[in-house]
Amino acid sequence: MLMSKKKKNFLQAVTYIVLIGFSLYCVFPFLWMFVTSIKPMKEIRSVTPSFWTSAPTFMHFDNVLNNSAFLTFFKNSMFIAVTSTVTAIVISIFAGYALSRFLRFRGIKLFSVAMLLSQMIPGVLLLIPLYLIMSNLGLINTYLSLILAYTTFTVPLCTFMMKSFFDGVPFEMEEAAEIDGCSKLGIIFRILLPVSLPSLVSTSLFAFLNAWNEFMFGFVFINDESHRTLTPGISLFKGLYQTDWGSLMASSVLSVLPVILLFIFLQRFIVEGMTSGSVKG
Amino acid sequence: MFFYLTKRGENMKKAAMSLRERKFRRIAYIYVLPALLFFFLLNAYPLLSVLWDSFQIKNLLNKAVSGFAGMENYKEVISNEYFLGTLRNTFIWTVLSVAGEYILGLTSAVALNQNVRGRTFFRALVIIPWIVPIVVAGLTWDWMLSPDYGIINYWLTSMGLIKEPVYWLGEMDTALLTIVFVNIWRSFPFYTITLLAGLQSVSRDVLEAAAIDGAGVRQRFFKIVMPQLKTVSLTIVFIHIIWTAINFDFIWIMTQGGPLHSSETLPIMIYRYAMQEYNFGNASALASMMLGFMLSGFILYYLYTARKSRA
Amino acid sequence: MKNKLSLIFSFVLVIGLLAGCGGGRNETANTSTDTGNSPAKENAGKTEAVTLNFWSALDPSSEEGRTIKQLVEQFDSSREDININLQVISYDVMHDKLVAAINAGDAPDISWGLSEWFGEFNQFDALMDLTDYFNSWEDKDKIYSNVIEAYTVDGKLKALPNYLGIRALLYHDDILKEAGYNGPPATWDELLAMGPVIKEKTGKEAFGIAGSGVRSPQELIMYLAQNDVVIAEKMSDGKYKNTWQDNPDQLARAAEVFQFYQDLLSTKTIKSDAKTWGWEEEDQNFALGQYAMVVDGSWMQTYEVAQPEEMADVKIAAPMYKSTPATFMEIAPLFIYKTAKADATWEFAKFLLGAEYQSAVNLNEAPRTDIISDSPWGRDFMALAETGVVFPAVSLGGITNVMQDSLAKVLLKNEQPEDVAAWLSQAINDSLKKTGELSAE
Repeated sequence: MLMSKKKKNFLQAVTYIVLIGFSLYCVFPFLWMFVTSIKPMKEIRSVTPSFWTSAPTFMHFDNVLNNSAFLTFFKNSMFIAVTSTVTAIVISIFAGYALSRFLRFRGIKLFSVAMLLSQMIPGVLLLIPLYLIMSNLGLINTYLSLILAYTTFTVPLCTFMMKSFFDGVPFEMEEAAEIDGCSKLGIIFRILLPVSLPSLVSTSLFAFLNAWNEFMFGFVFINDESHRTLTPGISLFKGLYQTDWGSLMASSVLSVLPVILLFIFLQRFIVEGMTSGSVKG
Repeated sequence: MFFYLTKRGENMKKAAMSLRERKFRRIAYIYVLPALLFFFLLNAYPLLSVLWDSFQIKNLLNKAVSGFAGMENYKEVISNEYFLGTLRNTFIWTVLSVAGEYILGLTSAVALNQNVRGRTFFRALVIIPWIVPIVVAGLTWDWMLSPDYGIINYWLTSMGLIKEPVYWLGEMDTALLTIVFVNIWRSFPFYTITLLAGLQSVSRDVLEAAAIDGAGVRQRFFKIVMPQLKTVSLTIVFIHIIWTAINFDFIWIMTQGGPLHSSETLPIMIYRYAMQEYNFGNASALASMMLGFMLSGFILYYLYTARKSRA
Repeated sequence: MKNKLSLIFSFVLVIGLLAGCGGGRNETANTSTDTGNSPAKENAGKTEAVTLNFWSALDPSSEEGRTIKQLVEQFDSSREDININLQVISYDVMHDKLVAAINAGDAPDISWGLSEWFGEFNQFDALMDLTDYFNSWEDKDKIYSNVIEAYTVDGKLKALPNYLGIRALLYHDDILKEAGYNGPPATWDELLAMGPVIKEKTGKEAFGIAGSGVRSPQELIMYLAQNDVVIAEKMSDGKYKNTWQDNPDQLARAAEVFQFYQDLLSTKTIKSDAKTWGWEEEDQNFALGQYAMVVDGSWMQTYEVAQPEEMADVKIAAPMYKSTPATFMEIAPLFIYKTAKADATWEFAKFLLGAEYQSAVNLNEAPRTDIISDSPWGRDFMALAETGVVFPAVSLGGITNVMQDSLAKVLLKNEQPEDVAAWLSQAINDSLKKTGELSAE
């Protein structure tokens, strides 16, 4: 028993209140997007805005799915986001391990400064140099250009995250394994990663969403519809003089839902990881 | 270059370095090599060109004039009428955003880690802001906050909380704070997920033992849970300080830095120099200064902790 | 524990393999279409077909967007020697993407754009000289002459019109009637006199402006032109200069314009919020019938779908003015970049300017004198074409920024109109100096 029953009930109530508050805060704009996506055109913009619609319609969803290349954008985004996530995570596992265990070498210290510096360049100033690099490599209008870019953008954070998780794993565990004849690779994959699984999943989620949501380079590197990703695709509903709110919101809802489902599947790895038995204190 | 410096430094200690240590060093370098390759491919050139251009006369519209500018770009940028205000805005924007995000992230992570019914459901809801594309999120908030057809003002006025609709994004004293609010909404779920993952490494046994020894809820949280979260927290806070400081999208989508530069931060100013005036000399000087500010912040923190741990 | 881990790893592995396959498949697909295409064309036409890259900001889900795609496809299939690679890029990012592409030497052959970019792209030396092509075109007299003039620099034609966004005074007739007026104002003073009356009788404001954003400099040069001043004049050395400070009369006239803005606010002719409205607030509030009158473009017609009741009473008139009737004429350009495929690009440009394309796509806003729709949304706007003013052909990025600042100084900070006019004059010349376009005179 950690606490008295009365206290426990009180804390339980507080938890629910906090959770409901957070949910409202988080979901409010999304609900607005959803309601907008099922409203008929006449009701969308009004001086008496409301979450109620008298005549729900799926015309905007129909427009998005049948009159735009939404499904192509979706497929492209999925492919690019998954590929760059896997690449970034694999690279970061090794780099993070080096940062965690070998920071005593000066080269590794310099490496960490370089990773930090790479995050400090404002995106606008990357625009022309990266376009030049990509066009010199002949990669404009290919998936590879975006995969390379997104991997580069996410590796530094993933590396630091992996480092901080590995830091939490006691060195003794590793030494014991080494004495048992485990190679470094074996140590990382058989001992460190299982212990850091929750963090590995949350870091991957970050890398995935970063690629999934990226807008600027998705537009600048890609020219034609068959290679375009989701966020730039969605923003096509925003015209020069007028925005097709219904379709914009419908396509956003369609792009958000699969990721929520993915997260519901993944979240148990975040909280029920394999830590319970293996590391203590 | 990094390797060269390293080698020279290490050579002196070579005699002292054991065989095992040298093997470790080789492994360490091999492990960071892929990350370094990506860095050199896509980051090194832009980074160096920013530093280089900041000392050059470089205006894409006026290619006839070019050459070494000395400190001229820096002088021009600092003497800009709005430089100081923008610097102040960047500071407010970064500090308030990161602090707000951390507090909300920690609270929600702890709440979501409790054993309550509907956990999965709540967890799924909390990450929504992070998934909605930034462009759409910005436009939606912009709309909801509108004084004429936005639901927030409509509700607040019909409930009698405010007398007149407030033009949150159009008034000089509310614009920046409103975007901070939206930015916190957008970014805190990342803290939630990361801290939630971090909380898993807090051992139940230790918590139970502490409870038996009579430690209260508050004491257990600050003495046992928080220290476990320290490294993760520092990592995400540091990286978010950088990201928030160089963040561009939200402010650009919602106010473009207006009204009259009251929500303009350094990246917006850099964007104006680069993509509206094509003055890459000035833009690079400003970016280099920003880099300098952030780096010196980190160095100060490093020195501070180094001294503290020595003491 | 082991189970879960192996699950994750096999997941990762499968994804990795899929990724590998996906990439590979994609590449082969690409090359196969390439090799598949060219022999077919060669067999058919016996001539080398050229492919033109065309960046358009059409809305792919709209009726108009579909028409454009269809017409371009028709052109593509009717010409054996020309293939069109139509690429849809929204205006939001078109500018930055073009700047990056131009500076990397990778510009498309032809693209849509905004009139504000003309001076910059010309300064980049990215645009092709179209003079000879245009002069040998049989339809050249059909294009409005002041439109062609606007895109002519030093005697060379550097861009073509895509469509015209002329601004007119739109008004909600019912609101004016309710306040006891039979028609819209003809002058600034009339408008300022009507403002308080309309506010009192209907509770709504008389007028709307865009105090910030891209629209506000467009409105500002219109009001300046209505009082006979321009933001930059072409001097005898071919470069530009703002001459207000050298000329007390001009400075006073510019100050009158800023005074007009302040009067709009102080007489409550415009909503207080309008001082920081962007174009979206300006348009949307007018469409919702929140205020009576606005100077705006013919795209406002599209609001009839979403706001049918509120838009039913809208009528069109010439903008009110101070000393000379003038309105802003947005000439949406077609940029043709320096390309090796100049002949083919010109052929395509002729098609885009042709009567067939223009009457199908831009019936209300065609840059051709022979295509004028019967709808008031076309005819009444085109009637104002001759009074249309445009931005000077200089790099505008820095200039439009200081123009927005000048409005903020007047409306938010309540600074003296004379001081703001002098400040703006100096700021415009500073900007011209930086880009090397300032006249030495």
